Amino acid sequence: MGIFTILWEKWREFVRDFSRITLAAMVAPLMYLIVFGWGIRTTMNGQPYLYFLIPGVISLTTMNGSFNAIAQNLNVQRLYEKAFDQVIISPTPLWQFIAGQIIAGALRGLYAGGIILLLVSPIKTGLIFSPLSVFILFLNGAVFSSLGIVVSFLARNHADVPRFSNYLIMPMAYLCNTFFSTDSIPRGARELIAALPLSQTSRMVRSIASGESISLMGIPLLLAYLTFFTSIALCFVYQKKNL
Amino acid sequence: MIELKHLTKTFEDSTAVDGIDLRIETGEFFGLLGPNGAGKTTTVSMLSTLLLPTSGEIRIDGELLTRKRQDLKRKVSVITQEYSMRQDMDMDEIMEYQGRLYFIPVKEIRSRTEALFSFAGLTEHRRKTIRKLSGGMKRKLMVCRALLTKPHILLLDEPTAGMDALSRRQMWNLLRRLNEQGLTILLTTHYIEEAQSLCHRVALMHRGRLDDVDTPAHLIEKLGAFAVDELRPDGIHSRYFTGREEAIQHLSGLHGTCTLRDTTLEDVFVEHSGRHLT
Repeated sequence: MGIFTILWEKWREFVRDFSRITLAAMVAPLMYLIVFGWGIRTTMNGQPYLYFLIPGVISLTTMNGSFNAIAQNLNVQRLYEKAFDQVIISPTPLWQFIAGQIIAGALRGLYAGGIILLLVSPIKTGLIFSPLSVFILFLNGAVFSSLGIVVSFLARNHADVPRFSNYLIMPMAYLCNTFFSTDSIPRGARELIAALPLSQTSRMVRSIASGESISLMGIPLLLAYLTFFTSIALCFVYQKKNL
Repeated sequence: MIELKHLTKTFEDSTAVDGIDLRIETGEFFGLLGPNGAGKTTTVSMLSTLLLPTSGEIRIDGELLTRKRQDLKRKVSVITQEYSMRQDMDMDEIMEYQGRLYFIPVKEIRSRTEALFSFAGLTEHRRKTIRKLSGGMKRKLMVCRALLTKPHILLLDEPTAGMDALSRRQMWNLLRRLNEQGLTILLTTHYIEEAQSLCHRVALMHRGRLDDVDTPAHLIEKLGAFAVDELRPDGIHSRYFTGREEAIQHLSGLHGTCTLRDTTLEDVFVEHSGRHLT
C-alpha cells in the first residue's frame, strides 16, 4: 500500500528533524499562552481567560503543524529537489500519495497540539480532552494538510507558500474563535468566520473541554472541506499536464 | 516496445515536441540526439508521465500510457537530467524509498541495494546525506536507484553528465551489459561518442521534430564516410565524401593544414544542427 510508503518517508523525516520539529511546534503557541494567558491576565465569562485560550491555541497549533508539514515540504520536493518526480514516475497510485500526505500531515498537527497539551497539563484547568477532541483535531489537521497539498501545487516558487500562509492561515489563526469569541463580530462577518474550518474545530474542542453540550455539525463541514481540497489535489496529480 | 504516435507537447508560447512518430523495439538501445532545446527532455518527460502530451499518445507494449497505468509504470525506470532526490535523506533511505514506491519487499530492497552499491563503489558513502555527495556520486546513486526496480525499459536523460571519464566508461559498460540482457534503453545525451558507441539506432531531433532516424553507421554513410578538414583563418571547414579516393583527390587540391579522417556521428550531429542554424 503506497500510503505506508509515504508514512514511512514522513516518519524518517520526523525522526531526522525531531528536535527542530518539536521546537518549532512549541514556540508560537507558547508565546500566545504566555502573552495572552499569563501576561495580559483577564477573565472571560467569569473564568480565567486561559481556559478559553487553551482549546483555541491547541486547535490553531494543529492547523499550523499540519499545513506547514505538508505545504513547504512538498513545495521544496516539487520545485527544488524534484523528488516529487520520482513519485509521479513510480507505480504508486497518486491517490495513495495524496492520502499518505494528508494522514502524515494530520498526525504531525496532532503531535504539535499534543506538545501544547502536555505543556499546559501542570495548570489545573479542569479542561477535558476526550478521544472525540483528538478525532476533531485530527480531522482539522487533515483539512489543512490537504490545503497544504493544493497550495504546494499552486506555488510557482518558494516564496509563494509563505505568501499563501500569510493570506490564508494567519488570518484564520487570529479570527477563528481562537483568541476571542466571535459573538461580538457583526453578523455577516461572524457567519463567514463560522463557516471556516478552524472556527468549527475551536468551537467543538472548546465545548468538549468545558464540558458543555456539543453540536457535531462542524464535523460534516470539516469533511466537506477535506473532500473539496482532496479533490483539487487529485485533479492536479491526475489531470495537470505540467506538474 | 515503445510507440510514440504523433506526440505533441506545447507550452504557453512554444511547441517543444511537434507530432513525432517513433517506434523503439524491445531490447533496442536507442539514442535521441539534438541540440539544446530540441525537445529531447520533453519527450523523455512525457514517456515518464512527468508531462502529459498535448496531443498524440504513447504506447508501451501496445498499451496506452497514462499516469494511472501502474502496470506500465512498473516496467519503466527513469534517470532524469536533474538530481531528483530528497536532499536530507542518506543513500540507503533513497534506495528504500524508491523500492517502497515500487512495492518491492524491504528485505529484497536491502539485498539489491548491497549489490548495487558494491558494484558502483558507493558502499562506504551510504550514510552520507545527498547534499554532501559530489555530482558524480549522485549520478551513480541515480543509476543504482533506477536499476533497483529491475525495469524492462530504462529512460536515460543525460545520464553521464557530471561524471569523470572513468566513471563514464564504467557506465557505458554497464548499460551495454544491461542492454545485452534484454533491457530496452532510450538515451538522450550530449556526448555523441556515447551514442555512437552504445546505440543501435539514433534519432536526430530539432525544434521538436525528428529529422532522421537510422543506425549510426547509416547516418555516417549518408553524410559520407570520409571527412576532409581544412583549417582556414575563420576556423575548420569539413567536407564529406563517400569514397576514400574522392576525398584524397579533394585533399590534394587544398593548400594549408588539412586532414583526412573517418566521419563520426558527431560530424552528422554538427552538420545536422548547423544546417538548421544557417
